[in-house]
Amino acid sequence: MTISSLQARAAADAVAPGPRPRTRRRRFPATPYLFLLPGFVLFAVTVVYPITQAVQMSLYDWRIIGGATSEFLGLANYARALGDDHFWLSFGNTVFYLIATIPPQIVLGLVVALLLHARSPIRPFLRVLYYLPVVTSWVVVSLLFRFLFADQGLINWTLGTTGVTGGDTSWLADRWSGMLAISALGVWKGVGWSMMIFLAALQGVPQSLMEAATVDGANRWQRFRAVTLPAIRAAMAFVTVMLVIGAFNVFISVYLMTGGGPAGRTDVLLTYMYRLAFGDLEFGYGSAIAVILTLVVLVLSLAQLRLFRDRDGVTP
Amino acid sequence: MKRPIRILAAGSTVAAMALIAAGCSADDGGDSDGTVTITFWGSYGNGGNSTQQDVLESTLIPAFEKANPGVQVEYLDVPYDDLLQKLTTSAAGDELPDLVRADLGWVPRFADLGVLVPLSQEMDDFQELADATYPGVLATNLWEGEYYGLPLDTNTRVLISNPAALEAAGLSAPPATFEELQAMAEALDGTDITAFADGGLGAWNLMPWIWSGGGDITDADLTTSTGYLDSAANVKTIQMLVDLYQAGQASSGLVGNEGAISTSEGLPGGNYATILDGPWMTGIWAGQFPDFAPVYSPVPAGDGGSISVVGGEDIVLTASSKHKEEAMDFIRFTQSEEFQLALVPTGQLTVIESLGDKQIELDPQLAVFTEQLATARNRLAIPNASEVDTILNTELVPAFEGAISVKEALENAAAKIDELLAS
Repeated sequence: MTISSLQARAAADAVAPGPRPRTRRRRFPATPYLFLLPGFVLFAVTVVYPITQAVQMSLYDWRIIGGATSEFLGLANYARALGDDHFWLSFGNTVFYLIATIPPQIVLGLVVALLLHARSPIRPFLRVLYYLPVVTSWVVVSLLFRFLFADQGLINWTLGTTGVTGGDTSWLADRWSGMLAISALGVWKGVGWSMMIFLAALQGVPQSLMEAATVDGANRWQRFRAVTLPAIRAAMAFVTVMLVIGAFNVFISVYLMTGGGPAGRTDVLLTYMYRLAFGDLEFGYGSAIAVILTLVVLVLSLAQLRLFRDRDGVTP
Repeated sequence: MKRPIRILAAGSTVAAMALIAAGCSADDGGDSDGTVTITFWGSYGNGGNSTQQDVLESTLIPAFEKANPGVQVEYLDVPYDDLLQKLTTSAAGDELPDLVRADLGWVPRFADLGVLVPLSQEMDDFQELADATYPGVLATNLWEGEYYGLPLDTNTRVLISNPAALEAAGLSAPPATFEELQAMAEALDGTDITAFADGGLGAWNLMPWIWSGGGDITDADLTTSTGYLDSAANVKTIQMLVDLYQAGQASSGLVGNEGAISTSEGLPGGNYATILDGPWMTGIWAGQFPDFAPVYSPVPAGDGGSISVVGGEDIVLTASSKHKEEAMDFIRFTQSEEFQLALVPTGQLTVIESLGDKQIELDPQLAVFTEQLATARNRLAIPNASEVDTILNTELVPAFEGAISVKEALENAAAKIDELLAS
């Protein structure tokens, strides 16, 4: 009710402009663009230009030396990717990482956020504790997890002494167990971030609705489903989109924990691309994979935004 | 509040302009007083263990500058892990220094890119300098009939054994042949000691076995791998490693398990009986395992003898250098006895064959390495040598896992290497 009346008022304001001097109105539009300019220039130089370069390189057998002529290949690099078994293996591993890390990060992040939402004297301390992995260097925690999952690491020792397994699992020696170890790091490091976003969103859940629901006899779970969840939908959309993008960008943890090994079986798209470009100097093919990756992420992000927006349209 | 911000802004503007000016000024390394500065990149710093860098910067470079008035050498230390990427991007941006201490595997790659000077054409005394070095080490500079560098320092892998493990296997000396290694593995069966450990299946790891077994990876002209890598000799050699692995007598690090105990810890720790490794290990163990007394011996001999693999660095001159004459003088200096022997105490083996005896006098522990180097050979000198490592690692692992036969795995790898050689 209040929202729609506010909207109506805004619309009325828009069609009935106040009596302002004409010259001021003319000059006005330039100002915001001037403010945008520095940011946009930075964006153009550091993001847009490299992207166009990558697209250009992906169409050539790119020779990195200035004077050398690069042979134009058209879409041959893209065709090569589609027929490259190792590209698909890396793609599969990336999707595994995505599926194995995103739901736990959202669920655990939300659970922790709900627990930490309640007032408590140790709340700031716990928040810092959960957020600590997020701000810790990827390199440090990747090496840490590599030691944890080593043949004689803490994980095997714990599993062995508690009798869960024989304690002799070679976690990093196999495709799926290796990806699992890498995903475990992803979840551990990421939970704090989604928790922070959800905590912020929970501040915006209308207390009046909560109270009304309680008066109506809704239990905890019903209140969570009917009030909390719809209220934090925007945060949920943001977290999901960012995590999907992040999952496709997984690199350092794989590079340091398994190096893509054994026999390239834990390669993800970025480790494969890095090896092609800087190991084998296949900059053209590496760029083609980068462009494919960008397109996949773009399509997925648009699809998710559409999904979340459509639902918003349906809910009253 | 406003004043500091304005000062800050002004300061950063000045700094930015200074940076731009520095970037614009054509730095040809020549000063107004006629001094020529040559730039030299390398990774003598070894990520913090700076004994080599200290010798270079405080002894060797000053000695060169004293003998060559008017020439200054500016050394830039780049961590090894970053050096290849830095060289690649610098080559693309035409920002290479005059001289580079390049890993020997990179020379054909950069020669193929056209950023290096063929020293065998440019230096009048090249042949004389080249003849003094070990042939296997010199070969790392050869690309399409020309030599693009000279050896700077070298190393090779020998068999290093844990004396306690040898004792446990009932041996008084390290295994000297393939058969003795296999016998040792059988003797160690049932103990918690693994007979042999390594960190992968790349050329650096496998070639000592392949050459010692009497095989090779391609023909001498680098045209085909089929018929060479999948030879009967290689099938026998690799089968030996596969048998060791499947009997639990070769570490899983061999097939790329990053979680396996590393060779540098497992050997002194008593987990592994033998490894193949280089002269730098002595220094690493001296710090971490002061009580460990490693036993050095030649690579176990097979039908082809005891042949190891050459490692180390070459010095190369870039095509973009504006001071080639002065840079070549420095290259000559690096081949001198003074330069070569100064680095021996820091764990660098000399590349000059006739200095071998003096080297052993300086450090008796280097005797086995010096002897092994005389017959050590170079890996494939091709621009995309790194892909050979990927192929070997990827194609051979299924044989170690028992999914396919050794013969089949070697044929698959050979076919892939053929493609690489043809491209």
